[in-house]
Amino acid sequence: MKITLDRPRCEGHGLCEEAAPELMHLDDDGELVLDIVEVPEGSPQAAAASAAVRVCPVAALKLA
Amino acid sequence: MSTAVPPGIVIERIVVVGNGIAGQTACDSLRGAGFTGQLTVVGDEPVPAYSRPALSKALLTDGGSHELAAPAHGATERLGVAAVGLDVDARLVHLDDGTALTFDGLVIATGARPRPLGEALVLRTLDDALALRERLADRPSVAVVGAGPLGMEVASAAAQAGCEVTVVADTAPMRPQFGPYLSELFTTAATAAGVKLVHGTATGFAAGTITLDDGSRVTAELVVAAIGDIPNVEWLHGSGVLTDGRLVADSRGRVAPGIVAAGDVAHVPIRGMVRRIPLWNSAIEQARIAATAVLLGDATPEFDADPYFWTEQFGLHLKAIGHLPVDGEPTVLTGEGPRDAALLHWRHPDGAGVAVAINHRIPIPRLRRAAATGELPSTATAAR
Repeated sequence: MKITLDRPRCEGHGLCEEAAPELMHLDDDGELVLDIVEVPEGSPQAAAASAAVRVCPVAALKLA
Repeated sequence: MSTAVPPGIVIERIVVVGNGIAGQTACDSLRGAGFTGQLTVVGDEPVPAYSRPALSKALLTDGGSHELAAPAHGATERLGVAAVGLDVDARLVHLDDGTALTFDGLVIATGARPRPLGEALVLRTLDDALALRERLADRPSVAVVGAGPLGMEVASAAAQAGCEVTVVADTAPMRPQFGPYLSELFTTAATAAGVKLVHGTATGFAAGTITLDDGSRVTAELVVAAIGDIPNVEWLHGSGVLTDGRLVADSRGRVAPGIVAAGDVAHVPIRGMVRRIPLWNSAIEQARIAATAVLLGDATPEFDADPYFWTEQFGLHLKAIGHLPVDGEPTVLTGEGPRDAALLHWRHPDGAGVAVAINHRIPIPRLRRAAATGELPSTATAAR
């Protein structure tokens, strides 16, 4: 599965980083960086990605 | 009442009542914790879950998105249907279409609704927001009753839309929620944007006129009430799960055996008090824990995270970690002062820290560290 970021939507809350710090982080300018984009379906990484997608209040992340 | 699931009870059917972010998160968390049984989510609005914080921010002005990612939990959705009763002994949730759902485990996440003021508009649902946006487009004169974060976000959107805006409240803007320092900061910004502040308690609204407790009147073409919310617990009356009319959960969200609560509807123990925390991130955290507690009981970690809050209004973007309001002057961790970008810190007498970023992009984990330590967190994290 692939994580995608709709950058114009991202407001830099960073709740996603809190949910999945192994997959993404906000850089020094507060811009979200996806450290890992592909996650195997059914894996713990996919579960973390799903949690990150869910917590975003502006739906800037998608997992498909 | 013991809230442990009796030994030998197998949880095969879980019903989640409420399709906001708490209900959706509960569904995700149940699947994440390995629940493969029958999962049903009931929502009284006929639309998929959406982002409520977005409704009073970008959506009112430039059409920012309220959409959330599509659910992946595979729950059966019963949308446009409301729960009207709970029978704890029979394990049944009664719905307003005359049907009932049987459950082994139940998540109560029915949220709250606005406290009404006569025929004034309110803002809680997507329909409310779309109706308000349409009215603002005609640039009416606007009076907002209530100067909490929601009322002030509405006032900001109305001012941005070119409306003449009056805010009627019995406190300075957001003073009860934020404390005097931040209240003054936002009051200055609102006043600079042309918002007129009227001090008083609204006692009624009819025919375009708000009546205040001192007998004075405020007239506007559009009146919006943002005077607090009421938890949706009426459907639980008589069920035995309410305590003095309130839905009180323990530190893992449990209210009765196999029954948990999360989000705006729930009173939870926090910092020695039992109260509601009607915030996006708290709803998510509560739902994660409560859903897990249905399956794991006492093995579930307790709810203890400091709340995260944000608001955008009058050109100020505020993000806060910790328990507001805060008294006194902050320590400025970075920035020239609050008029520009700044990171501010307060420490409560009990030692709990509060970090507030104003127009300063900072990831939540770093803001959490700032709240805890009272120091500017280094950009290099221990985890990386």
